[in-house]
Amino acid sequence: MSYLRQILFRSPGTLSNVVRHLCTQNVAKVEATQEELDKLYKFVELELRGNDPAVLKSFCKFAVTTGNHLDINTKSWTLRKPNHERYTVLKCIHVKKKHRVQYEYRTYYSFVQYKYLTGSTADTVLEYLERNLPEGVALKATKVEVQAIPEYLVPPESDKQSNTTVDT
Amino acid sequence: MLKIFRIIERNTIEKTCLCVRYSSTDSSAEKRDEFRVLNIRKPKGRYQERKQPRTLNILPPRSESMPVDQDWGNVWPGPRSFHPATVPLPVRQGYVEKSGAPPSKYANAELVKIPNFLHLTPPVIERQCNALKQFCTPWPKALDTDEKLEKHFPLQITSSDYCFSSPSIRNPLARIVTLRFKLGSLGLNQRAKDKFLRLVGDRYDEESDSVTIVTDRCPLKKQNYDYALYLLTALYHESYNVEEWENLKTEADMEYYDWLKNKSKATIEKLFGKPHGEIENADVYADSVDKLMNEGENTYTLDKYGEAVRKLLNLPTKIEIK
Repeated sequence: MSYLRQILFRSPGTLSNVVRHLCTQNVAKVEATQEELDKLYKFVELELRGNDPAVLKSFCKFAVTTGNHLDINTKSWTLRKPNHERYTVLKCIHVKKKHRVQYEYRTYYSFVQYKYLTGSTADTVLEYLERNLPEGVALKATKVEVQAIPEYLVPPESDKQSNTTVDT
Repeated sequence: MLKIFRIIERNTIEKTCLCVRYSSTDSSAEKRDEFRVLNIRKPKGRYQERKQPRTLNILPPRSESMPVDQDWGNVWPGPRSFHPATVPLPVRQGYVEKSGAPPSKYANAELVKIPNFLHLTPPVIERQCNALKQFCTPWPKALDTDEKLEKHFPLQITSSDYCFSSPSIRNPLARIVTLRFKLGSLGLNQRAKDKFLRLVGDRYDEESDSVTIVTDRCPLKKQNYDYALYLLTALYHESYNVEEWENLKTEADMEYYDWLKNKSKATIEKLFGKPHGEIENADVYADSVDKLMNEGENTYTLDKYGEAVRKLLNLPTKIEIK
């Protein structure tokens, strides 16, 4: 009752105000009880693609430094050869089939791996890295989450009994 | 006829007279008014003052007046293309055909093209990471190895996020969810495991004892994740479910040899006159027969079978002939 009086004293409005206040309090309590647990990531792997190996190298260095500062087990590696996607076209658009010209896209790959991250750490790190992603670099972040087996996966009652009989 | 001629004659004469009259008037007008010349130049004698070139009031490059112990993070706080007057480094970039040094940083487009990391210098990264640490939580110390992680959290859920410049920020590949787990971690009994393997088919990898379920049929990642867990639940309960027709399986339907259900066991029991549990070395014999039938006849399985039979019947061991 004193609690109610306090609320009434603090918010001198209509009764609806008080009701709303009480409702929000209840909702907050319910949310607090159903607190979401932090996820666990076995590793988060970043695949970086770009046309410029120097930019990728700098970004990898940045990513590794970030991981080290945040006490995450980090490693980085690159593919030795870039992917050359070539296409050959006629030099002159309609005639002279013998004379061609060749164009190519070069895609360089780099990888960064963070091991053993909690959900909040992974979100923070990924957001920080994605915001600092330079122009012309593509990022693919693969997250491997680990979970316990759901509680509802238990053998049916009949099977439990038969199991116990077999064991004895 | 004469009349017509007369008229034509008169007309022609009149016309010629007119022409003469016109021409006489034109010539007289030219003589009267001379064509006026427009004098563009200023009259002689007066000098025009030369215009002084405008001097631009440009400050010297900012980099020259920078203190040595400045905080670079404040000078270059965010991503920005290269600016020669702000960067106090003698950088050079570009290609020269003849021998010589590459072009300097001033008026150099090559340095502007490449994305720079001048806003992410090591002290800046450290400072920003220290600020971000409050949003991070440490990894539980008890889960420091893969084995422990595998034991307590057997389900692995893999999904990808994509971030690159494209017309849309949504990538359809981000919806794919992969669920992986070791079959042993489910704790199925032998019959249920057998049925589970039949249900998952080629999603089971025998070498690593792992099942991989890839779900990509729903448009959203959350939906696919829910679907993967639904599939796991459905598979689990279905593998425990026994249909009536499953009990009709006979020995001819068996896909592998089971010693306990075969004639070999009955023969042994008849030979010794007691159940196979009480016979000495019967388990070794059962094992070797199982292997011989399941893996096929080769030197290893045959040797093992021979040894098992000798042990079972108390025969002397094989004599090596040299």
